[in-house]
Amino acid sequence: MKLREVAEKLGLEFLVAAAPEAEVEGGYVSDLLSDVLANAQPKQLWITHQRHLNVVAVAKLRELSGVVFARGIRPGPEVIQKAREEGLNLLISPADAFETAGRLHRLLFP
Amino acid sequence: MRWFRADLHIHSALSPCGSLAMSPQRIVEEARKAGLSLIAICDHNAGENGVYARRIAREFPVVLMGMEIQTSEEVEILAVFPEEEACLALQEELYALLPPIPNDPELFGDQVVVDENEEIVRTVDKLLLSPVPLSLEEVVRRVEDRGGLVIPAHVDRVPGGLLGVLGFFPPGEWRAVEVSPWTELSEALKIWPELGGRVILRFSDAHYPEEIGRAWTDLFLREPSFSELLLAIRGEGGRQVRPSPPLKEGR
Repeated sequence: MKLREVAEKLGLEFLVAAAPEAEVEGGYVSDLLSDVLANAQPKQLWITHQRHLNVVAVAKLRELSGVVFARGIRPGPEVIQKAREEGLNLLISPADAFETAGRLHRLLFP
Repeated sequence: MRWFRADLHIHSALSPCGSLAMSPQRIVEEARKAGLSLIAICDHNAGENGVYARRIAREFPVVLMGMEIQTSEEVEILAVFPEEEACLALQEELYALLPPIPNDPELFGDQVVVDENEEIVRTVDKLLLSPVPLSLEEVVRRVEDRGGLVIPAHVDRVPGGLLGVLGFFPPGEWRAVEVSPWTELSEALKIWPELGGRVILRFSDAHYPEEIGRAWTDLFLREPSFSELLLAIRGEGGRQVRPSPPLKEGR
Protein backbone atom coordinates (compact mmCIF):
# COMPACT_ATOMS: atom_id res chain seq x y z
CA MET A 1 0.00 0.00 0.00
CA LYS A 2 1.22 3.52 -0.78
CA LEU A 3 2.33 5.62 2.18
CA ARG A 4 -0.10 8.40 1.16
CA GLU A 5 -3.03 5.99 1.56
CA VAL A 6 -1.70 4.61 4.85
CA ALA A 7 -1.39 8.16 6.18
CA GLU A 8 -4.96 9.01 5.17
CA LYS A 9 -6.46 5.91 6.73
CA LEU A 10 -4.45 6.17 9.97
CA GLY A 11 -4.78 9.93 10.35
CA LEU A 12 -1.04 10.55 10.15
CA GLU A 13 0.27 14.03 9.49
CA PHE A 14 3.14 14.40 7.00
CA LEU A 15 6.02 16.42 8.47
CA VAL A 16 8.21 15.69 5.46
CA ALA A 17 6.48 14.25 2.40
CA ALA A 18 9.62 13.34 0.50
CA ALA A 19 8.15 10.35 -1.33
CA PRO A 20 4.49 9.86 -0.39
CA GLU A 21 4.08 7.23 -3.11
CA ALA A 22 6.58 4.96 -1.31
CA GLU A 23 5.37 1.42 -0.82
CA VAL A 24 4.62 0.24 2.75
CA GLU A 25 4.89 -3.52 3.22
CA GLY A 26 4.99 -3.73 6.99
CA GLY A 27 5.89 -1.96 10.19
CA TYR A 28 8.54 -1.93 12.90
CA VAL A 29 8.21 -0.49 16.40
CA SER A 30 11.37 0.37 18.34
CA ASP A 31 13.11 3.22 20.12
CA LEU A 32 16.54 1.59 20.00
CA LEU A 33 18.36 2.57 16.82
CA SER A 34 20.78 -0.34 17.13
CA ASP A 35 17.77 -2.67 17.14
CA VAL A 36 16.30 -1.02 14.04
CA LEU A 37 19.68 -1.19 12.30
CA ALA A 38 19.89 -4.90 12.99
CA ASN A 39 16.30 -5.99 12.48
CA ALA A 40 14.06 -3.63 10.49
CA GLN A 41 13.32 -4.63 6.89
CA PRO A 42 13.13 -2.46 3.77
CA LYS A 43 9.72 -0.87 3.03
CA GLN A 44 8.61 -1.06 6.64
CA LEU A 45 7.09 1.95 8.33
CA TRP A 46 8.99 2.65 11.54
CA ILE A 47 6.99 3.76 14.58
CA THR A 48 9.10 5.34 17.33
CA HIS A 49 9.46 7.79 20.21
CA GLN A 50 13.14 8.34 19.46
CA ARG A 51 13.79 11.91 18.26
CA HIS A 52 17.54 11.89 17.86
CA LEU A 53 19.02 12.99 14.53
CA ASN A 54 20.44 9.49 13.97
CA VAL A 55 16.87 8.35 13.24
CA VAL A 56 17.18 9.77 9.73
CA ALA A 57 20.38 7.94 8.87
CA VAL A 58 19.14 4.65 10.31
CA ALA A 59 15.85 4.85 8.38
CA LYS A 60 17.70 5.60 5.13
CA LEU A 61 20.22 2.84 5.73
CA ARG A 62 17.48 0.28 6.28
CA GLU A 63 15.50 1.65 3.29
CA LEU A 64 12.37 2.14 5.39
CA SER A 65 9.36 3.74 3.79
CA GLY A 66 9.13 6.36 6.50
CA VAL A 67 9.28 7.23 10.20
CA VAL A 68 6.16 7.79 12.29
CA PHE A 69 6.57 9.62 15.60
CA ALA A 70 3.95 8.24 17.96
CA ARG A 71 1.79 10.09 20.49
CA GLY A 72 2.12 13.41 18.69
CA ILE A 73 5.86 13.62 19.37
CA ARG A 74 7.48 16.27 17.20
CA PRO A 75 11.18 15.98 16.32
CA GLY A 76 13.44 19.05 16.31
CA PRO A 77 14.06 21.23 13.24
CA GLU A 78 17.44 19.61 12.56
CA VAL A 79 15.73 16.22 12.15
CA ILE A 80 13.18 17.67 9.73
CA GLN A 81 15.92 19.48 7.80
CA LYS A 82 18.01 16.32 7.55
CA ALA A 83 15.01 14.25 6.43
CA ARG A 84 14.33 16.79 3.65
CA GLU A 85 17.94 16.59 2.52
CA GLU A 86 17.94 12.81 2.58
CA GLY A 87 14.48 12.42 1.04
CA LEU A 88 12.99 10.57 4.01
CA ASN A 89 9.26 10.61 4.81
CA LEU A 90 8.48 11.80 8.35
CA LEU A 91 5.02 11.57 9.85
CA ILE A 92 3.32 12.20 13.18
CA SER A 93 0.63 9.99 14.65
CA PRO A 94 -1.66 11.54 17.23
CA ALA A 95 -2.28 8.02 18.57
CA ASP A 96 0.21 6.17 20.77
CA ALA A 97 2.57 3.51 19.41
CA PHE A 98 0.33 0.56 20.35
CA GLU A 99 -2.72 2.09 18.68
CA THR A 100 -0.76 3.21 15.61
CA ALA A 101 0.90 -0.16 15.13
CA GLY A 102 -2.37 -2.00 15.70
CA ARG A 103 -4.20 0.03 13.11
CA LEU A 104 -1.35 -0.28 10.61
CA HIS A 105 -1.33 -4.04 11.06
CA ARG A 106 -5.08 -4.26 10.50
CA LEU A 107 -4.78 -2.11 7.41
CA LEU A 108 -1.93 -4.06 5.82
CA PHE A 109 -2.90 -7.56 6.91
CA PRO A 110 -6.70 -7.52 7.19
CA MET B 1 55.23 8.97 36.02
CA ARG B 2 53.71 5.73 37.16
CA TRP B 3 50.52 3.64 36.91
CA PHE B 4 47.50 4.63 38.97
CA ARG B 5 44.30 2.60 39.17
CA ALA B 6 41.06 4.48 38.47
CA ASP B 7 37.34 3.74 38.80
CA LEU B 8 35.19 6.68 37.77
CA HIS B 9 31.83 4.91 37.76
CA ILE B 10 30.72 4.00 41.28
CA HIS B 11 27.14 4.41 42.49
CA SER B 12 26.31 5.33 46.08
CA ALA B 13 23.21 5.19 48.28
CA LEU B 14 22.01 8.30 46.43
CA SER B 15 21.16 6.15 43.43
CA PRO B 16 17.89 4.29 44.05
CA CYS B 17 19.48 1.19 42.54
CA GLY B 18 22.61 1.63 44.67
CA SER B 19 22.85 -0.33 47.90
CA LEU B 20 22.14 1.55 51.12
CA ALA B 21 25.50 0.16 52.26
CA MET B 22 27.19 2.39 49.67
CA SER B 23 27.88 5.31 52.00
CA PRO B 24 30.76 7.63 51.07
CA GLN B 25 32.70 6.15 54.02
CA ARG B 26 32.24 2.57 52.80
CA ILE B 27 33.06 3.48 49.20
CA VAL B 28 36.33 5.11 50.28
CA GLU B 29 37.24 2.06 52.40
CA GLU B 30 36.51 -0.36 49.55
CA ALA B 31 38.38 1.82 47.06
CA ARG B 32 41.45 1.76 49.31
CA LYS B 33 41.22 -2.02 49.64
CA ALA B 34 40.96 -2.31 45.85
CA GLY B 35 44.10 -0.21 45.39
CA LEU B 36 42.31 2.62 43.61
CA SER B 37 44.05 5.99 43.43
CA LEU B 38 41.40 7.93 41.52
CA ILE B 39 37.63 7.47 41.86
CA ALA B 40 34.37 9.26 41.12
CA ILE B 41 30.93 8.64 42.56
CA CYS B 42 28.53 8.93 39.63
CA ASP B 43 24.94 8.65 40.80
CA HIS B 44 21.99 8.96 38.46
CA ASN B 45 21.57 12.66 37.69
CA ALA B 46 23.23 13.52 41.02
CA GLY B 47 26.72 14.00 42.44
CA GLU B 48 26.30 15.17 46.02
CA ASN B 49 27.76 12.21 47.88
CA GLY B 50 31.08 12.99 46.21
CA VAL B 51 31.41 15.99 48.52
CA TYR B 52 31.49 13.74 51.60
CA ALA B 53 33.68 11.10 49.97
CA ARG B 54 36.26 13.85 49.34
CA ARG B 55 36.22 14.89 53.00
CA ILE B 56 36.65 11.29 54.13
CA ALA B 57 39.28 10.26 51.58
CA ARG B 58 41.56 13.31 51.92
CA GLU B 59 43.02 12.48 48.51
CA PHE B 60 43.59 8.84 49.44
CA PRO B 61 42.15 8.05 46.97
CA VAL B 62 41.61 11.24 44.99
CA VAL B 63 37.85 11.67 44.54
CA LEU B 64 36.61 13.52 41.46
CA MET B 65 33.06 14.83 41.35
CA GLY B 66 30.72 13.09 38.94
CA MET B 67 27.25 12.18 37.78
CA GLU B 68 25.71 9.65 35.45
CA ILE B 69 23.28 11.76 33.44
CA GLN B 70 20.44 10.16 31.50
CA THR B 71 19.47 12.21 28.43
CA SER B 72 16.05 12.42 26.78
CA GLU B 73 17.17 9.76 24.28
CA GLU B 74 17.79 7.54 27.34
CA VAL B 75 21.53 7.60 26.67
CA GLU B 76 23.67 7.61 29.82
CA ILE B 77 26.83 9.65 30.07
CA LEU B 78 29.36 10.10 32.84
CA ALA B 79 30.06 13.74 33.61
CA VAL B 80 33.27 14.16 35.62
CA PHE B 81 34.34 17.42 37.24
CA PRO B 82 37.48 18.53 39.08
CA GLU B 83 35.56 20.75 41.51
CA GLU B 84 32.42 20.51 43.62
CA GLU B 85 30.82 23.78 42.62
CA ALA B 86 30.35 23.04 38.92
CA CYS B 87 29.03 19.55 39.59
CA LEU B 88 26.58 20.63 42.28
CA ALA B 89 25.33 23.54 40.18
CA LEU B 90 24.58 21.20 37.29
CA GLN B 91 22.98 18.70 39.69
CA GLU B 92 20.60 21.43 40.85
CA GLU B 93 19.84 22.48 37.29
CA LEU B 94 19.03 18.90 36.30
CA TYR B 95 16.96 18.23 39.40
CA ALA B 96 14.67 21.17 38.61
CA LEU B 97 14.12 19.70 35.14
CA LEU B 98 13.43 16.13 36.25
CA PRO B 99 9.77 15.09 35.91
CA PRO B 100 7.82 15.35 39.18
CA ILE B 101 7.70 11.59 39.70
CA PRO B 102 8.32 10.85 43.38
CA ASN B 103 10.69 8.02 44.28
CA ASP B 104 9.00 5.03 45.86
CA PRO B 105 11.76 3.58 48.06
CA GLU B 106 9.88 0.26 48.34
CA LEU B 107 10.03 -0.15 44.57
CA PHE B 108 13.25 1.55 43.55
CA GLY B 109 15.32 1.88 46.73
CA ASP B 110 16.35 4.84 48.88
CA GLN B 111 17.97 8.00 47.53
CA VAL B 112 20.00 9.40 50.39
CA VAL B 113 22.82 11.86 50.87
CA VAL B 114 25.10 10.51 53.62
CA ASP B 115 27.79 12.59 55.33
CA GLU B 116 31.24 11.80 56.70
CA ASN B 117 29.74 10.66 60.02
CA GLU B 118 27.50 8.11 58.28
CA GLU B 119 24.47 10.32 59.05
CA ILE B 120 21.72 10.81 56.48
CA VAL B 121 21.83 14.49 55.47
CA ARG B 122 18.70 14.35 53.36
CA THR B 123 16.46 12.16 51.26
CA VAL B 124 15.92 13.13 47.62
CA ASP B 125 12.22 13.15 46.70
CA LYS B 126 12.02 13.00 42.90
CA LEU B 127 12.96 9.72 41.23
CA LEU B 128 16.52 10.16 39.97
CA LEU B 129 16.18 7.28 37.51
CA SER B 130 14.15 9.44 35.12
CA PRO B 131 15.85 10.93 32.06
CA VAL B 132 16.32 14.70 32.10
CA PRO B 133 14.32 16.42 29.34
CA LEU B 134 17.48 17.55 27.54
CA SER B 135 18.98 16.10 24.36
CA LEU B 136 22.35 14.39 24.43
CA GLU B 137 23.83 17.34 22.56
CA GLU B 138 22.46 19.79 25.14
CA VAL B 139 23.68 17.71 28.09
CA VAL B 140 27.17 17.52 26.60
CA ARG B 141 27.14 21.28 26.09
CA ARG B 142 26.10 21.96 29.69
CA VAL B 143 28.74 19.61 31.11
CA GLU B 144 31.54 20.98 28.95
CA ASP B 145 30.50 24.60 29.57
CA ARG B 146 31.10 23.94 33.26
CA GLY B 147 34.52 22.43 32.65
CA GLY B 148 33.45 18.81 32.92
CA LEU B 149 34.61 15.74 31.02
CA VAL B 150 32.00 13.71 29.12
CA ILE B 151 32.42 9.94 28.91
CA PRO B 152 29.55 7.98 27.32
CA ALA B 153 28.78 5.24 29.88
CA HIS B 154 28.86 1.53 28.95
CA VAL B 155 28.49 2.55 25.27
CA ASP B 156 27.76 -0.96 24.06
CA ARG B 157 24.98 -1.67 26.54
CA VAL B 158 21.25 -1.84 25.96
CA PRO B 159 19.66 -0.02 27.63
CA GLY B 160 21.52 3.21 28.26
CA GLY B 161 24.65 2.90 26.13
CA LEU B 162 25.16 5.50 23.40
CA LEU B 163 25.84 2.92 20.68
CA GLY B 164 23.16 0.56 21.96
CA VAL B 165 20.51 3.28 21.85
CA LEU B 166 21.65 5.51 18.97
CA GLY B 167 23.28 2.89 16.74
CA PHE B 168 26.38 4.96 15.99
CA PHE B 169 28.21 8.05 17.24
CA PRO B 170 26.43 11.31 16.43
CA PRO B 171 28.69 14.23 15.37
CA GLY B 172 31.22 15.07 18.09
CA GLU B 173 34.65 13.93 19.18
CA TRP B 174 33.72 11.16 21.65
CA ARG B 175 37.39 10.61 22.31
CA ALA B 176 36.99 8.55 25.48
CA VAL B 177 34.22 6.02 26.05
CA GLU B 178 33.43 3.54 28.80
CA VAL B 179 32.62 -0.08 28.02
CA SER B 180 30.73 -2.45 30.32
CA PRO B 181 32.69 -4.53 32.83
CA TRP B 182 31.87 -7.65 30.79
CA THR B 183 32.64 -6.36 27.31
CA GLU B 184 35.24 -8.30 25.33
CA LEU B 185 37.00 -5.52 23.41
CA SER B 186 37.77 -7.58 20.29
CA GLU B 187 34.10 -8.54 19.98
CA ALA B 188 32.87 -5.02 20.64
CA LEU B 189 35.14 -3.78 17.86
CA LYS B 190 33.58 -6.27 15.45
CA ILE B 191 30.07 -5.03 16.25
CA TRP B 192 31.05 -1.35 16.55
CA PRO B 193 34.06 -0.70 14.31
CA GLU B 194 33.73 3.00 15.16
CA LEU B 195 35.13 2.19 18.64
CA GLY B 196 38.51 1.81 16.94
CA GLY B 197 40.92 4.66 17.59
CA ARG B 198 39.06 5.83 20.68
CA VAL B 199 40.27 5.71 24.27
CA ILE B 200 38.51 2.76 25.88
CA LEU B 201 37.90 2.99 29.61
CA ARG B 202 36.44 0.30 31.82
CA PHE B 203 34.96 0.98 35.25
CA SER B 204 33.05 -1.11 37.80
CA ASP B 205 29.58 0.53 37.63
CA ALA B 206 29.44 -0.77 41.21
CA HIS B 207 26.09 -0.66 43.01
CA TYR B 208 27.25 -2.85 45.95
CA PRO B 209 30.43 -2.59 48.06
CA GLU B 210 31.82 -5.91 46.83
CA GLU B 211 31.59 -4.71 43.22
CA ILE B 212 34.17 -1.97 43.76
CA GLY B 213 37.40 -3.20 42.23
CA ARG B 214 35.80 -5.68 39.83
CA ALA B 215 36.74 -3.53 36.81
CA TRP B 216 39.03 -0.51 36.49
CA THR B 217 41.34 1.42 34.21
CA ASP B 218 45.05 1.86 34.85
CA LEU B 219 46.38 5.29 33.97
CA PHE B 220 50.08 6.14 33.49
CA LEU B 221 50.25 9.62 35.00
CA ARG B 222 52.34 12.10 36.92
CA GLU B 223 49.71 12.11 39.68
CA PRO B 224 46.06 11.04 40.03
CA SER B 225 44.18 14.23 39.11
CA PHE B 226 41.55 15.56 36.73
CA SER B 227 44.05 17.44 34.59
CA GLU B 228 46.32 14.39 34.30
CA LEU B 229 43.28 12.29 33.33
CA LEU B 230 42.53 14.72 30.49
CA LEU B 231 46.15 14.55 29.31
CA ALA B 232 46.05 10.75 29.39
CA ILE B 233 42.90 10.74 27.27
CA ARG B 234 44.74 13.02 24.82
CA GLY B 235 47.72 10.63 24.95
CA GLU B 236 50.05 13.49 25.77
CA GLY B 237 53.57 13.31 27.19
CA GLY B 238 53.79 9.51 27.26
CA ARG B 239 50.68 9.13 29.43
CA GLN B 240 48.80 5.88 28.86
CA VAL B 241 45.40 4.29 29.43
CA ARG B 242 44.95 0.56 30.00
CA PRO B 243 41.50 -0.89 30.82
CA SER B 244 41.22 -4.01 32.98
CA PRO B 245 40.34 -7.37 31.36
CA PRO B 246 36.62 -8.11 31.02
CA LEU B 247 34.71 -9.76 33.83
CA LYS B 248 33.74 -13.32 33.03
CA GLU B 249 30.72 -13.71 35.29
CA GLY B 250 28.28 -12.03 37.61
CA ARG B 251 26.45 -10.17 34.91
